[in-house]
This record gives sequence, C-alpha cells and structure tokens, in this order.
Amino acid sequence: MGEYINIRRYLKDRLAVIALNLAGMVFMALFLLSAGNSLDTVLLVIGMWILAAVLYFAVSFRARRRYLMGIIGLADRLQEKYLVSEIIEKPARMDDEVFYWLLKSADKSMLEKISEIKQEKQDYKEYIEQWVHEAKTPVTAMCLICENNKETVPRILLAELERADQYIEQALFFARSDYTHKDYIIRETCLEDIVHLAVAQNRQLLIQNNVRVEVEDSEITAYTDGKWIAFIISQLIQNAVKYKSDTPVIKIAIGMENGSAFLAISDNGIGISDDELPRVFDKGFTGTNGRNGEKATGLGLYLCKRLCDKLGVGLSVSSDGKGTKFRLVFNGNELVING
Amino acid sequence: MADRIMLIEDDKTICGELMTLLSANKYDVGVISDFHRTYEETVAFAPQLVLLDINLPYEDGFKVCAKLRHSFDFPIIFVTSRNTDMDELNSIMTGGDAFITKPYNTAILLAKIASLLKRAYGGQESTVVEHNGVMLRLENGCAERGGASVELTKNEQKILYYLMKNAGKICARANITEYLWDNRIYIDDNTLSVNVTRLREKLTRIGAEEYIKTKHRQGYLV
Repeated sequence: MGEYINIRRYLKDRLAVIALNLAGMVFMALFLLSAGNSLDTVLLVIGMWILAAVLYFAVSFRARRRYLMGIIGLADRLQEKYLVSEIIEKPARMDDEVFYWLLKSADKSMLEKISEIKQEKQDYKEYIEQWVHEAKTPVTAMCLICENNKETVPRILLAELERADQYIEQALFFARSDYTHKDYIIRETCLEDIVHLAVAQNRQLLIQNNVRVEVEDSEITAYTDGKWIAFIISQLIQNAVKYKSDTPVIKIAIGMENGSAFLAISDNGIGISDDELPRVFDKGFTGTNGRNGEKATGLGLYLCKRLCDKLGVGLSVSSDGKGTKFRLVFNGNELVING
Repeated sequence: MADRIMLIEDDKTICGELMTLLSANKYDVGVISDFHRTYEETVAFAPQLVLLDINLPYEDGFKVCAKLRHSFDFPIIFVTSRNTDMDELNSIMTGGDAFITKPYNTAILLAKIASLLKRAYGGQESTVVEHNGVMLRLENGCAERGGASVELTKNEQKILYYLMKNAGKICARANITEYLWDNRIYIDDNTLSVNVTRLREKLTRIGAEEYIKTKHRQGYLV
C-alpha cells in the first residue's frame, strides 16, 4: 500500500490550498505595489511566502507519510489482517476518524459473521460425526446377519455393504479434513498392521474382483495416526480396483528411505497419462479414465492429499502406463519434535 | 465347559445376531435385559469376558467398564461405532483390553475373543488336528499319515486346517478364500485352485489319495 503515498498525490489533494496561496500572493503583490513599495520588496515578501509554504508542505507530507506507513506496517505484521482496526490508535483528524469508525464497525460485523459461520460449520461437523456413528449401527447389524446366514446370503450383498460402509467412512473423514481441527493422535504405528486393516476393510471388493494382494512383511513403524492412514490406503485400494487390468495385482511395499519410513502401493491397472498426473489430487478432477466408463467423483484422491497434508505425510504418485504407484512418506521424527 | 461371554449392547438386532454368532462358536452368552441394572446383571452372570458398547442408555460404556474394573479383572472388549481416538484412549484408560470398531469383521472379533480368553485363563489350543487318518501338525506345518510325513506351505496348511475343522461339511470356495484373507493370505481364485491341486499331490504322496473331494459347483469336502 506504500505505493499510494507520494508527493504528487499529496499536492494534488491540496490543489485548493495551493491555489488559495497563489491567489493570496497575487493580491498581496498588487496591494504592496499599489501602496508604493518597490519591486524588490514585493519579490522579497513573495519569496518568503513561497519558502514558508514549501517548507510547510514538505514537513506535513513527511509527517503524514510516517503515520500512514506506521499503520501499514502494523497491518503487515498481523496474521489476521482484518483485526487491524483493533490495534490502530484513534486518529486525531476528522476524516481519518470517520474512516476509523467505519473500519471498526465493518470489522465488528464481519467478526460476527465469521463466528456465526464457524459455529454453523462446527455444528454440521458434529452432526456428521453423530450421523456416521448412527449409520454404522444398521450396517453392522446387516453385516452380522449376512455372516450368520452365510450360506444363503449372496456375497454381492456383502460387497455392497462394504461399499456403503466405505462411503460413510468417507463422509466422516471429509468432515475431519478441514484445517482448523485436530482430530488425530500421533502414535508409534506398525505400518504392516495398518495395511492389513485397510485390506480387511475392502475384503469383499478385492475378492470379488479377483484381485491378488501382496503385502511385504515389515516391522517398520512410523509416528502417525493409524486410522487415518488406513482410510487413505483404503481409498487408494478402491482406486486401484476401479481402474484395474484383467489380472489385477496390488503390491504394497514398506521400507525406509533417508531416515523416513515409506509405504508404496502399486497396481498393474490402466495407469494415468503424464499430462493428467499432476492434477490427480485436485478437487473434482476426474481425468479421461474417470470420464470413460468408470464413474469418478474426483473426491477420493483430493481427500487423501488433504488428510496427508494435515498429518504431515508426503503423498506422491507416478505412473508408467502399466500401472500406478502411490507413495506415502512419513516424516515421523520431525512431527514428534514439533508436534 | 463353555466360556461365558456377557454382551452389553442395546441395539436389539446386533445383540441378537451377535448372540447367534457367539453361540455358534460354542460360547455361553448373556445379555442385559434392563439397562438400569447393567452392572448388577453383568456381575450376576459371572462372565469370563465382556463385550461392551460405548453408547448405552443411562450409563455409557466407559462408566460401566470403570465400575467393573473396580472389582473384576476379566477381559473387556469395547465394540463400538464411535471410532474417534479419544474414545479409544478412554477405553484403554478405563481398563478395556481391546477396542473394535463397527462394522467389525467377525473373524477379527472371534480371534480377539479367543486370544484374550487364552491370555486370561490359559488353556492349551490343540496344535494337532486329525481327521480320517491324516494328522496336521500346526507347530511344524507337516501333514502325516501312518509313518509318512510331508511338509506343507503356509497356504496349504491353512486350507487343510479349514477343511479339517469343518470335516464332513462342504466348504464353499468363497468361504475358504475368506478364511485365507482373514489370515492375511490374499490370494485370487486361480491361486486357490493351484494351492488345492498341490495340496492334493502332497497328500497323495503320503498315501491319502482322494482325501479332498470336490463337490461340483459347491466346494471341497474332507
């Protein structure tokens, strides 16, 4: 905002005062001359006048500029700039004060609006959490009924139930993914156990699509929230099944690299083209794979990325046309120190 | 004597189905009839293990758990649809032994119950399964018949174990596959066929020909 403060603008705002001064000088000169003063005297008086006026404008411009730069600096140092009206001093000048009070009242009404929206959002989030837990009860009941009547209930029903559960889970994690809340607990987590949990959550989907899953044995642990990671892996597994080849295989590798644990999920599916690769984590991006045939919401990977960002987990994707590989990198140690 | 499990769950359907499931797995199951008297009814049943929901009428699961823990040390498993980390921490803090979220995989639930019971009361799980002259030794993964013995792979052991445990019943391929997946063996349909074929070859080698019978369109049978 400093660029708005310059001497030309300052003088332009004071054109009327300058004109008044000039008019005063002309009248003064005419008066002095008519009173019989010499031209030298007149020039001396006018010269003094001009000097005084220039001095006044220079000094008052500097003072004004210092004041304005001060306020701008104050605002710049604030994280929430809209709070500036709370910390600037009440100005002495009349028009400044009008703007000061205007700014204050604008801020006040905005803060009210913000807290209202925050509250609404919080209520909605709590509702979603509540709803998820309630929706899980009938899903659980249905799963148990299927299990107890295994021989007569078609497996397809179990797969559909599993899908319903996954969508319910997605709603829960979407509600948790906003940046203002911390709903996770970082603990030392065995990555292999988390992978097995995610596979178990998608058991029917994988079996019925005749997918072979290979999970590397590993004792490696990472400091993270297991439930979140299981959800993310689950989403990636569902993606892999959605875009599978004729003989689908999902390989999950766990390892260490540069002191950080990583988890790599690779499939032998149809892959993602190079030009679409950078955009797969964008919200609503479906790509040609998603648009041709398989229905895609463009939400799954976006959500994964958001959750990973929140957890401090690096998520990257690569594809060579014969499959897709997702990598999760756990910068565990940093999180423990900073967290 | 069958182990006694107390089921503290207020959803009638889930409660009924869990009862069916647990009874089918040879447990004695007790349920709460009046949630005003959850604690008293549980104590009166004298269970060896408790399955406890968190959302209960009148008194939540954490309170019940804390009260039970005050005087009893039988294993308590929280089964709940509330899967926030706070709940999980609370369950551990109040003395729960395990935390399973809905909708649970029944195999995981049953395995958890069995392992907690074993941990709390000991008891030797048989490491040898026998049927129709063939013995499967779980400790070294060998199948034996007469004096002959043959080593089985992990997959083959699990398949044979499942068939022998369900001896006399037809085991659907889908059931065998699910059993294997529950045991972290993620194979597809073809691999199952290959594994069964190899298992048959090995059994033939120790003289158990036609040990595993194929029921067309239904599954396998020993």
